[in-house]
Amino acid sequence: MTETRPTVLRARGITKRFGDREVLRGIDLDAARGDVVSILGGSGSGKSTFLRCLNLLELPDAGTIEIAGSPAPLAHDARGRARIANPRALNALRAKTAMVFQNFNLWSHMTVIDNIAAAPVHVHGMARAEAVARAHDLLDKVGMTGFAGHWPRQLSGGQQQRVAIARALATDPDLMLFDEPTSALDPERVREVLDLMRALAGEGRTMLIVTHEMAFARDVSSHVVHVRDGVIESMGPPALMFGPDASPVFRGFLSPP
Amino acid sequence: MMGESGTGESGFLADTALAIVAAVPVTLALFVACAVGASLLAGVLVAAQQGRVGGLVARAWIFVFRGTPLLLQIFMVYYGLAALGPVRHGPLWPAFRDPLFCAFLAMTCCCSAYIAEVLRAALAAIPPGQIEAARACGMARWTLGRRIVVPQMVRLALPAYGNELVMMLKSTSLASSVTVLDVTGVAQQVIAHSYRTVEVFCLAAAVYLGLTAALTWLLRRIERRLDPAGGR
Repeated sequence: MTETRPTVLRARGITKRFGDREVLRGIDLDAARGDVVSILGGSGSGKSTFLRCLNLLELPDAGTIEIAGSPAPLAHDARGRARIANPRALNALRAKTAMVFQNFNLWSHMTVIDNIAAAPVHVHGMARAEAVARAHDLLDKVGMTGFAGHWPRQLSGGQQQRVAIARALATDPDLMLFDEPTSALDPERVREVLDLMRALAGEGRTMLIVTHEMAFARDVSSHVVHVRDGVIESMGPPALMFGPDASPVFRGFLSPP
Repeated sequence: MMGESGTGESGFLADTALAIVAAVPVTLALFVACAVGASLLAGVLVAAQQGRVGGLVARAWIFVFRGTPLLLQIFMVYYGLAALGPVRHGPLWPAFRDPLFCAFLAMTCCCSAYIAEVLRAALAAIPPGQIEAARACGMARWTLGRRIVVPQMVRLALPAYGNELVMMLKSTSLASSVTVLDVTGVAQQVIAHSYRTVEVFCLAAAVYLGLTAALTWLLRRIERRLDPAGGR
């Protein structure tokens, strides 16, 4: 029944090189609404770079991206270097997405509530009172009721990441990008974030998650993608990827000899 | 020997203190005008440094005004420009013949160079993730500058910027060298007909101490207000 759900992401032939190093060598990936795609791979495999290409924090050297029907405004100059064709279209495209970072990146000069209300007010033009009211609801949702007036640095890593997820939800994005959201957390804080992400997946949010949490990928994702050396080595539903018929390379990645 | 008023030593000190305190508005006006002017100009310099041509101009400006003594710059504006025909006979002569204006102009240019460097360092110190988070949610360039970059820059710059302001407050005393009757100028005037160097300069120094103490207190309040969770 996948075909009946609208496509949220269509990425084709994404390549990226840093100097002489080819980090991405042609990645195609689709996601339909409600898909939860876990992107796994060793460090340096290019998985984070791929995620950052999707909202154009990194400019792919080649390839096309379409998010919720809008093409990414990529162009190339005379020397073939990628550039932004239209900054307005870029911001409109990014406004359909939201990113959760490894290091949270909450704005340190804003309180928790202002962090969450900022994008609705300053990007989407929502009235401040409405944005703040919705931000309070989101704080409840991520289990951070009562922290509205706190400053990011007063919170633990897990709490900051939950606020960052509330901030990402505030614009009701078509596509949520998670860039190793639990990698910077103390082990005992990982679960509170994963539980929250599990709840979002259950609500039908479209999520792309770069992660090292294998159990989470197996239990929560609709698709698992294994990136290796800048290409998709194998992909499929978790039952296949974590089953006996998975690619030997991926099995080797899961349990190195 | 008794003074003319017949009140002796304490009378002289009281009269001098009054005269010096009466000059505080001149010192403060010069300081406030320079602080505002230099800060605005520094903001322009930092903005200019984002472009290629503007960057060259800004760097040349900083090189010249940071590389030469403020006292010389004040002399150049007050005595040097007056020697130029176009200035002397131009429409702005009423301004350039005023020593207070000349001191203001030279100090503004000089301090703008220092403050621009403070701001540039603060700009470079903003963690990239802060800007990336704003770009990722589609914030437009201008909004990003206003809501993220400038507020963070101000917070990072404040301690060093406060230092510059304290330096600037004390540097206003150089204006006395071109006949401005600020705190230092009045002190020198009193010394010129009393020859009581130590007492008078000590009084003037005490006034500057009071002013810088007030300024430091104000800056610390602003710092605390901008960052109530400071240090935690």
